Amino acid sequence: MGLVEAFWKHLNGALMELFVQRCFDGMFTGAIYASLALAIVMIYRSTGLLNFAQGEMGLMGGYVTLTLLSPTGAAGIGIPIAGTAFASRWIPLHPWPAWAAIVGAVAFGALLGAVVERFIMRPLTGRSALSQVNVTIGLLILINGIVFQIWGSFSRKVESPFPNEAADYFGILGARLRYTTVGVWATLIVIIVLLTLLIQKTKTGLAFRAITSNREGAALVGVPVNRTLTIGWAIASAIGALAASLVGGAVTLSPMLMLNLLIYALAAATIGGLDSPRGAIAGGLIIGLTQSLSPPYLGIPTELTLLPPLAAMVLALAVRPHGLFGTVPVNRV
Amino acid sequence: MTTISSEQDAMGASPALPAARMSRMSKIGLVVLAITVAIPPFVVTPLELTKLSRLVVLVLAVLGVNLLTGYTGLISLGHGVFVGVGAFAMANLIDQGMSLFLAGFLATLFTGAVGLVLGLPALRVRGLYLALVTFGTALAFPPLLRRMGTLTGGVTGRTVDNEAFVPPSLLGLDDDVHIWRYGVCLAIVALWFVIIRNLVNSRMGRALRTVRDNEPAAATFGISVRYAKAGALAISAAMTGTAGVLQSLLNPYVSHADFDSFLSLRLYASAVIGGLGTLAGAIFGVTALILVPTVNGALELLDSDAIVFGAGLIIMTFIAPTGIAGLFKARDRGKSESL
Repeated sequence: MGLVEAFWKHLNGALMELFVQRCFDGMFTGAIYASLALAIVMIYRSTGLLNFAQGEMGLMGGYVTLTLLSPTGAAGIGIPIAGTAFASRWIPLHPWPAWAAIVGAVAFGALLGAVVERFIMRPLTGRSALSQVNVTIGLLILINGIVFQIWGSFSRKVESPFPNEAADYFGILGARLRYTTVGVWATLIVIIVLLTLLIQKTKTGLAFRAITSNREGAALVGVPVNRTLTIGWAIASAIGALAASLVGGAVTLSPMLMLNLLIYALAAATIGGLDSPRGAIAGGLIIGLTQSLSPPYLGIPTELTLLPPLAAMVLALAVRPHGLFGTVPVNRV
Repeated sequence: MTTISSEQDAMGASPALPAARMSRMSKIGLVVLAITVAIPPFVVTPLELTKLSRLVVLVLAVLGVNLLTGYTGLISLGHGVFVGVGAFAMANLIDQGMSLFLAGFLATLFTGAVGLVLGLPALRVRGLYLALVTFGTALAFPPLLRRMGTLTGGVTGRTVDNEAFVPPSLLGLDDDVHIWRYGVCLAIVALWFVIIRNLVNSRMGRALRTVRDNEPAAATFGISVRYAKAGALAISAAMTGTAGVLQSLLNPYVSHADFDSFLSLRLYASAVIGGLGTLAGAIFGVTALILVPTVNGALELLDSDAIVFGAGLIIMTFIAPTGIAGLFKARDRGKSESL
């Protein structure tokens, strides 16, 4: 390894280092976008609905992580985190270690997803697609407002469950591949493996595939459509909460965070194809890399890193409207 | 796969024939509206009236969302961007020494063109892609404005030369500039309402509704779906641009902070809460847009009014899918629209 590294360094010098470093940075954010995109794709595949609230549902999970792992009165910038006093009184062993807090937030996310499906989306079954989309947009605004109301507008640092000190990295080609990046990708791969197993090997997975292919037909042959959809929403929402909790390794948590993340994830899902889990992963990686490579190589100022992914999405829509891996729909009059 | 436009019942109220004559309810409504808008100049301070005018002109943005979502079945989550484009275009055109009328007209046209350029790639595909592109634009808009130097005043914002926006001297209204401005805004809003009313009752309006209800069928009838959608988007963006033009004239200072992504989300929520697919819906919608922050501010209940708009959007979808306007309509017809 050392020899190869020295060779590359000799050959390419600092430029190569910068390139590889940027790729690693892009891979971290790409994994986060990919997980959120995966959550969006799961809902879209089974219900044909684009859940605009996916990011905000995850955001709430991120704040639950923050509350669970912060000691009472803990102050990032001098202002205590809301809910920690409550948590230390009612939740045993609070504050929890980072990984346990994330498990708690994922459980909360699953519960939130199930509640939203059961009490908001299910009563709208059979209503127009516009009504359903409107409700998810309403949820986006509502949950953002609730988070703002409870936790305020401050930026908060969330502890990473992976080693995240300055020296925690692998040196590859002179660049730093941080443990958090490896950890986030490992988590993403575990999620994908578990999801694939669930969908391919279990009865719930079979029901899920049946609903994706033909909802009414599935209901007719006795597939428990409602229960399966509740599980689907719970899983998608749990993945969103996980994504928001892991972001802490790189950026701070704030009420506006997931709005930007949502658009990256939607761009990722659009590029990959809205009904393709594979596409969500590929799209997430493409968006992450576009975002990290465009400032140094295209001279785009870092505040405007929203633009390249947006341009990539618009380009994808113009060239390949149904995404890299998506299916082209057939319309019946 | 479901898309918005393929749903027959997308908007509930889909009049088969244009209402040639106004219903009694509409006539009563117009009278009530005329009285309501005539009250503020007599009861509020000049400063408050200017603030109110700035919100009242947003009815054009809400109607713009309505034209797109209610009549054409396309979702835009970025109409705040068009308000901003109109405002900054106006500020820069005035700098060029144009008359207010010409500058306003050109700024409106320019905003329409921007809407078209933004939407064209998304319009190739059915479904929610326009919502994605417009929402992304709404998020990218404030940082973009901050980087645009003297055109937008960067981080601090810029002033607008609105000194010409005063009553002609022969009217003798020199002491009541704010009332005159309020009146001009109302007149321009009314003009747009007449244009849109005629549009939705015309051949093009019927084409838009057919595209909304069943896209393949619309194509079969010989409607050019792409032209219909693009036209609706351009007109919708243009009228929203007019709202921005008037806003920049009312308050001679515009900055990126005025056009964040929540403006777009609020505009969308207001359009739905007010009622999609009816002109009255936009008026009810902007009423919500004015009242909610005012009441919330007075009662000091919530840190932001997002909770009210979000919850309102969800609750209205459940109990009154056709919005506040739909509640009146259902009573007028003696039956409720099922959605």
